[in-house]
Amino acid sequence: MTSFRDVELLSAYLDGQLSPPDSARLESRLSSDASLRAALNDLRSARGLLRQLPQRRAPRNFTLTPKMAGIKPPEPRAYPTLRFATVLATLLFLATFAINGLAPIRATSFASAPAPASGFGMGGSGCEQGCGGGGPETAPQAAGPATEAPLQTFATNETPTPDIRSSLAVQPTQATDNSQPTPELLNKNSAPTEMAPNAAPGMGNAQPLPVQSEAPIPFVWQIGLAIVAVIFGAAAWSIRKFNESKFRKRWK
Amino acid sequence: MDESALIKDAQRGDLDSFNTLVLAYQDVLFNTALRILSDEDQAADATQDAFLSAFKSINTFRGGSFKAWLMRTVTNACYDELRRKKRRPTTPLEPDTSDGDEMDSPRWLADKSMSPEQKLEADELEHAIQHCLDALPSDFRTVVVLADIQGLDYAEVANATRVPLGTIKSRLARARLRLRECLQGFWELLPASLRLDKETQ
Repeated sequence: MTSFRDVELLSAYLDGQLSPPDSARLESRLSSDASLRAALNDLRSARGLLRQLPQRRAPRNFTLTPKMAGIKPPEPRAYPTLRFATVLATLLFLATFAINGLAPIRATSFASAPAPASGFGMGGSGCEQGCGGGGPETAPQAAGPATEAPLQTFATNETPTPDIRSSLAVQPTQATDNSQPTPELLNKNSAPTEMAPNAAPGMGNAQPLPVQSEAPIPFVWQIGLAIVAVIFGAAAWSIRKFNESKFRKRWK
Repeated sequence: MDESALIKDAQRGDLDSFNTLVLAYQDVLFNTALRILSDEDQAADATQDAFLSAFKSINTFRGGSFKAWLMRTVTNACYDELRRKKRRPTTPLEPDTSDGDEMDSPRWLADKSMSPEQKLEADELEHAIQHCLDALPSDFRTVVVLADIQGLDYAEVANATRVPLGTIKSRLARARLRLRECLQGFWELLPASLRLDKETQ
């Protein structure tokens, strides 16, 4: 009967894993011990059986696909530039709408707030161009009352009353013929844009006011930006699709 | 095949190079998994997982035996599979005969080099050996599969299993001893040249 220590030695001896002195010692024991020899033969047979096991062929190929390996198709070189250009053009396109949309509001607030300082009688959102010319000419006569009166007007009348509007519409000349502006008349300065045409003809030496404010960014520009965004977007998309299909075709 | 060049290319992310290595080693890895897991489908899954894991961690390969390194990945994949099997035991869906016995697939029909009788004997012997392998604890089975079936040396087995060399020697001796005892039960199946010495029982 062989001990486990002997089996361990025999197993290592079979595989050539014993040091030369240990091998020599075991070989001398093997020559005199029949049971040790039989145990060695058993181990050798068991190992031989295992080594004779047929090697099966793999049932399929285990090659990895890019999807399995988490590999994405490389980005085309021009793609980041095109993508950036698309985003930029789109943002600018949207910004033009925002700017054009905000323009009337800005003009209205500008017209209502600084009107007292720029003289009276010009009112309306077309003031940006028309007031500058008319203001200084009327200022010598009207500067005195104009600086004080609007404040009172704003304090007492927050909104223009319908009767004032109608009187102005019916008698436009009253506003300019009267060099001493009444609070009611001054209140007209903060009236909406549509009042300007009514007041303009009676302004005497004032330059004609624009009927409505122009969009700061022309429509042509907006169209141009939209076209640029679409062209760059389409180019980026198609270059990427082409690259992906090429990549997929390669791995098919 | 320049293995080291392919490994370097694979480390740079070249999937073609890695797949060349896959084709070279897939049979070895599949057989290792098959002997450890004793189930073809699970072995195929473990092999696929092992290659995937190998690709992802190929940059951790620092030279030495690539085969042993791959064996480590497949051994880990097999241990994962065994743990999964333990958590969720499954019933095989093999067809049964009218007697309720498992029906073996007639693989010998496809092999023209052997007669049906020879193939049947070979299959039975293979089943007997696999049965004895399955009876071993998984740690012992892995060592004996790597050393005796795949022919790795002790150092490579130690590298693949991350176990000290002395433990490998000890496990291998115990595994061979148990296999010898188990195979005595299949005496009539063993080829004459490899029959175990009955006197030592």
